Amino acid sequence: MSDSKSNSTAVSADESNLDTNGTRTELIGSPVTASTDTPRRLISASDGPDIAFRWIARGSGTIVVTVMSLVGLFLLYQGFQALQVAGPSFLTEQRWDPNSGKFGIAAVLAGTFFIALTAISFALPLSLGTALYISEYAPAKIKSALVTVVDLMAAVPSVVYGLWGVFFLSGAILPVSQWISTYLGWIPIFAVNGFDVSDPLASPTAFAASTFIAGIVVALMVAPITSSIMREVFTQAPIGEREGALALGATKWGMISSVVLPFGRGGIIGGTMLGLGRALGETIAVFLIISPVFVIQPHILEKGANSISALIALRYNEASKFEISALMAAGLSLFVITLIVNFIASTIIGRSRSGNETN
Amino acid sequence: MSNSQSRVGRVIRRGFRAIVIVALVAMIGSAPSLVTASSATAAIGTTYYPVAGAGSTWSANALQQWIRNVFDNYRWKVTFDDSGSSAGRQLFSQGTVDFGVSEIPYQLAGSDSPDPRPTRQFAYVPIVAGGTAFMYNLVIGGQRVTNLRLSGVVLAKIFTGVITKWNDPAIAADNPKLALPGVGIVPVVRSDGSGTTAQLTSWMRATYPAIWNAYCAKAGRANCGITSNYPIVSGTAFIGQQGSNGVAGFVAQSKSVGSITYVEDSYALNARFPVAKVLNSAGYYTEPTASNVAVSLLAAVINKDSNSPDYLTANLSGVYGNADQRTYPLSSYSYMIVPTALEGSFTENKGLTLADFASYFLCEGQQQAEVLGYSPLPINLAQAGLEQIQKIPGGNPKNKNVSSCNNPTFSPDGTNKVANDAPQPQACDKQGSDQCLTGTGGAADVVTAGSSATGGAGSTGAKAGSTASATSATEAALSTGAVSTSGEAVGLSSASGGTPVIAGVPLNIPGRGIPVPTVLLMTLAAVGVLLVMLLPPILARRRSTAAPAGPRRARRLSRVRVISGAAKVKNPNVKVRDFFRKRGRAVLQRKDS
Repeated sequence: MSDSKSNSTAVSADESNLDTNGTRTELIGSPVTASTDTPRRLISASDGPDIAFRWIARGSGTIVVTVMSLVGLFLLYQGFQALQVAGPSFLTEQRWDPNSGKFGIAAVLAGTFFIALTAISFALPLSLGTALYISEYAPAKIKSALVTVVDLMAAVPSVVYGLWGVFFLSGAILPVSQWISTYLGWIPIFAVNGFDVSDPLASPTAFAASTFIAGIVVALMVAPITSSIMREVFTQAPIGEREGALALGATKWGMISSVVLPFGRGGIIGGTMLGLGRALGETIAVFLIISPVFVIQPHILEKGANSISALIALRYNEASKFEISALMAAGLSLFVITLIVNFIASTIIGRSRSGNETN
Repeated sequence: MSNSQSRVGRVIRRGFRAIVIVALVAMIGSAPSLVTASSATAAIGTTYYPVAGAGSTWSANALQQWIRNVFDNYRWKVTFDDSGSSAGRQLFSQGTVDFGVSEIPYQLAGSDSPDPRPTRQFAYVPIVAGGTAFMYNLVIGGQRVTNLRLSGVVLAKIFTGVITKWNDPAIAADNPKLALPGVGIVPVVRSDGSGTTAQLTSWMRATYPAIWNAYCAKAGRANCGITSNYPIVSGTAFIGQQGSNGVAGFVAQSKSVGSITYVEDSYALNARFPVAKVLNSAGYYTEPTASNVAVSLLAAVINKDSNSPDYLTANLSGVYGNADQRTYPLSSYSYMIVPTALEGSFTENKGLTLADFASYFLCEGQQQAEVLGYSPLPINLAQAGLEQIQKIPGGNPKNKNVSSCNNPTFSPDGTNKVANDAPQPQACDKQGSDQCLTGTGGAADVVTAGSSATGGAGSTGAKAGSTASATSATEAALSTGAVSTSGEAVGLSSASGGTPVIAGVPLNIPGRGIPVPTVLLMTLAAVGVLLVMLLPPILARRRSTAAPAGPRRARRLSRVRVISGAAKVKNPNVKVRDFFRKRGRAVLQRKDS
């Protein structure tokens, strides 16, 4: 929780106690308890406009929560039939063949995570560097321009990233994939079936339409959001502590590593988790790039990947009623997972020092 | 657990049912007035209202051309979304679109999915015939192969992952003139539900059931029927792409050497890529040309029972084994699914547009079929189609019978003119003979040099030639696409076995450099985008500095001064950093104050 804030209220309570009773020593020695930590209640006079505004605000809040739970309920209702037919095998079955009753999300769920994790492992260093540069190193003259550019990146529609990935990246990245697979292929996730290093005629298509390519494209879509959250938190690192660090003779990086990064830890983790949430749900760019396979495919460089949202986009149009039910059940699982990820993210942000101050 | 779950489900279902009942009551309340109003108006639509359709990518190239034609000439607005046959059938069934286009009918016999017929009334109208072509990207010694020949069994084995290398003896036996490289075969298949996939699997299932069933079982399919969703075995070279444009585009990429896919011939024509000649029952390797397809489809068994829900759909098993020399085994035609009752959002005005559009493409539109890479519909199908479109409510088609129809297949005696005039295949297309050197499909003008020496030496010679040059072609194929001198030398030297070598025309690879005007334009555009992005913040900054110095500016200046002053303090001799680290972070502790 917020150390500084709770402590300051505790101190003010102490001082008030000192004024009235003179029992200061006792209270200082005792741990800060919840009873002394209660903030003062704010009471305001409420007139007509005030009440109206309160109801509007309350209504909006309620609507957001209602819509969210209705979406969940709708997915549950629509997917119920499929969940009933599939039973627990819905979580373990890799195939997707609802017409024969053999379908499950094991492969697509794993694929979703592989793509999201690949994306995050690219997006985290990229956005951390961007955020640190903008908040700490960039000259004031180009700072606002850089912020605009990063925000602009977040505003580019995902289909544009997808088309870029299909028409440019998926061809251009093949040598990189091939290099990684050649020299790091002994690491299981970089192994590629159907690629023989000693075969000079090996087709580079073994690396096309892979988790790796989809992950990079998604990373570029996630990075702006992650980096603007991080930047926001870094700029809030208290000026007093920065000055203190510098006054103690710290170098710029010493100041960053001892003040800015610890202060912004919550922002880094939270921003990454929010990025992960977006990466999990990314649809159209993944849909355009991957060659869907329905097995758990942990070789990220090898062609063939899948994700829940891409599966829904691919099959929704042509789905019969039962197939739609199955897709809705898959959507429900994605919904629940994204909720959990975002919930963890907001908890981490809330528990951190920086996050708590911005709440 | 499951009990409570089902109870929850029941409660939800009951709630939903209540909503549905309320909605139904509301609809019934207003419905009678709608029905009476519509039946009271004239049966023929008054204005050409836009119609929307979805479905087959197989026939999309023809359909999009016709849609452009009718819009340019008559201003009838027809939109078509080529989202795949499965999507087309489903969207029509749901009432989302006014017409669907599909290669296979609903409830196809032998299909692996139930695919129920829609509740709305509908009829099939054949739209265009064509051949499912095998477009490939194969380069030998830096030169594109344009005269590949494949027998049916080889094709079935390629698309079931049995044959995985281009220098497989079975492929070499089909292509005595080619020194096939040891490049892996990459079969590119459709990842979405596709009528083209259904055509291919229907053919494989009928012709090579053992090969297909083995593959299907390997892919873990519970039902090995005709499928619209191609099964992919993980870890094989197969690649799934969405839509005909997706698979054709993938094969056409320069990195995709060794890939082969199945699309309608028109996609290969558009991509300017060759298609494989496929061995027919008469022992000739043929291309899916308009005339070959027309001859092949003479053997299609068409459902002539006008009371059947599948009226006008075809059973193609006769086509696969048609004994005529001029046939292409994977010939078929595509249907439009049109509504025959005013249901949902379908009105007489839409019917007017749809009926006239159908009348256009069944007659005049067919003249363009051959140029577009399709084959015109034979007379019997066009005639039956014209009868079908009269069932469209609100329609008043211009052509009501064949006499006014300007279809290129019509001849006075009622036989198919295109089929009658179909040329016999060349002698070099006969099985066992040296293959023709002329190109196919979209690369018909590109001649492939005979690069292997056989000259009647039989299959052993072919094998020896191919293996010998496969090893020597290794280096050349390293940099695929690049026309290397060593590559050409391979192609020529390996053919020094005595038969005359017909030198191939080197393939021009256009678009190597970008023309200067394009570069200039792109640079200008890039500068423009940069300006649009960077100018607003810079201008805003300038304005704020130009403004009279207020407290805001003063504060900023003072902060800058403080920070820069602090930065100057740093002294490399004082090792504060380690000390600082030991102390922990610079978080103010309550004890300190």
